[in-house]
Amino acid sequence: MKKYLSVFKISFQQEFAYRVNFIMWRIRNVLQLFLVFFLWDTVFSGQDKVIFGYDKARILTYVFGLLIIRAFVLSARAVDVAGEVANGDLSNYLIKPVSYFKYWLTRDLSSKALNLIFAAFETAVLFIILKPPFFIQTNIISLTGFFVSTALAMFIYFTILFISSAIPFWIPEVAWGAQFLTTAIFIEFLSGAVFPLDILPQVFQNILNLTPFPYMIFFPLEVYLGKIAGLDLLKGVVISFIWAIILWIGMNSLWKKGLKVYQSQGR
Amino acid sequence: MKRIFYYIRIWLLMSKNSFMVYITQKLVFAMFLFGKITRFIFFLGFIYFLVKGANSLAGFSINQTIFFFLTFNLVDVISQFLFREVYRFRSLLVTGDFDLILVKPISSLFRVLMGGADVIDLVTIPPLIIALIYVGKMLDPNIYQVILYSLLVVNSLIIATSFHIAVLSFGIVTLEIDHSIMIYRDILNLGRFPIDIYKEPLRGILTFLIPVGIMISLPVKALMGLINPPVVFGSFALGVLLLFLSLKFWNYALRFYTSASS
Repeated sequence: MKKYLSVFKISFQQEFAYRVNFIMWRIRNVLQLFLVFFLWDTVFSGQDKVIFGYDKARILTYVFGLLIIRAFVLSARAVDVAGEVANGDLSNYLIKPVSYFKYWLTRDLSSKALNLIFAAFETAVLFIILKPPFFIQTNIISLTGFFVSTALAMFIYFTILFISSAIPFWIPEVAWGAQFLTTAIFIEFLSGAVFPLDILPQVFQNILNLTPFPYMIFFPLEVYLGKIAGLDLLKGVVISFIWAIILWIGMNSLWKKGLKVYQSQGR
Repeated sequence: MKRIFYYIRIWLLMSKNSFMVYITQKLVFAMFLFGKITRFIFFLGFIYFLVKGANSLAGFSINQTIFFFLTFNLVDVISQFLFREVYRFRSLLVTGDFDLILVKPISSLFRVLMGGADVIDLVTIPPLIIALIYVGKMLDPNIYQVILYSLLVVNSLIIATSFHIAVLSFGIVTLEIDHSIMIYRDILNLGRFPIDIYKEPLRGILTFLIPVGIMISLPVKALMGLINPPVVFGSFALGVLLLFLSLKFWNYALRFYTSASS
């Protein structure tokens, strides 16, 4: 436990070693928020509208919630793992007395902590500048459901990252391609990180609900907004939990097989 | 004229080399192409369902909003096709390999700006143009509006060129390229939708300071017959001014190159 605490501290400090990189990354997050905020603000301009089951306060809370939950779920250092497998840097860790998964999970938590601090600050500043109507959830069950589903979402994202990072064991040259497809395309769009998934026709939503993607962003935010409650909340948490277990087993099995064919290419 | 053909021949040669690199990695090529097309379809679907549900967006219909999005993609994809080498400039700077470009008998700016055309983006340009023609026809423009639209898109590409030169120059001074270019693209992304959705002062900033509005919204509005001739002349003047300033910045930035690590 002590060594992972050290990894956490070092990783946290390492983020400050590349300050410009980090600040630029945060600026990008804010710019992306601008597009989504003004888009929805325009859609809900004028009279009190309810579109796709949202009023203006709820949709803009969803937008601001994105900034926070992206910091919770999608901030991760483990995006570098695919590159380490492809260029052989993984070997450096295999000879050390650390669990590779725990090492990266710790680094991810460190990254999330730092991003969360900045996201909270940015949210506060943007909130003062943009003055959006905001929905504050006071129901203790919804808040508990939000935190539980967010924790599961973080774990699901971690396992998906590691599953896609295992592909270079067999095809090293696709390390970046696999990451790009997984994070920038499928997770970005199908998790609800760009738009709430309930604007899609019901048939698409039904198909998406069978995948782990909506449980990473959309589900926790809907729980916070109170749009998912009661039995649906319980059902969603159980499905998230089942996906977390399936992906954990899949990740372990894939990495066991991958390590057998790993040739430390590039070393 | 002879000099122009000389550079065209060099560009073709460099592009051919770049394409051959992609062809050696067919699986990577297929993955990125699939990813880009999927992202485009996802976003198009989002716009369609959004505007359909809301009836209109800032007064624009589904077809008009999609045309904004397609125009944004056209400018973005052509820029990436032509200027992909910008994304690789940092490694030349930090390793000192930029020395090898400076000693060659061609413009170093031309080499680092246009030295690695991206075949993945090239593949997506023809279907994008077909989609633009298809959706554009539904907006029922006259020939004058189509010509104006085309000229303003060319002007958008000149502005995009200026920004890429500015990013390269900024890179020489600060060694920061990757995030600068991505921030430029994030700002350009704000043009995916009509500039009218933004409130002041952001709308003013996006029109005059970082002219996303002039790059994306203006050509589309010209096609719809929604702008005046003085605005058009002003946008062309801005394009030329930005190109001039970016070239000045490049010449200034070159003085900061230290040839470190070489």
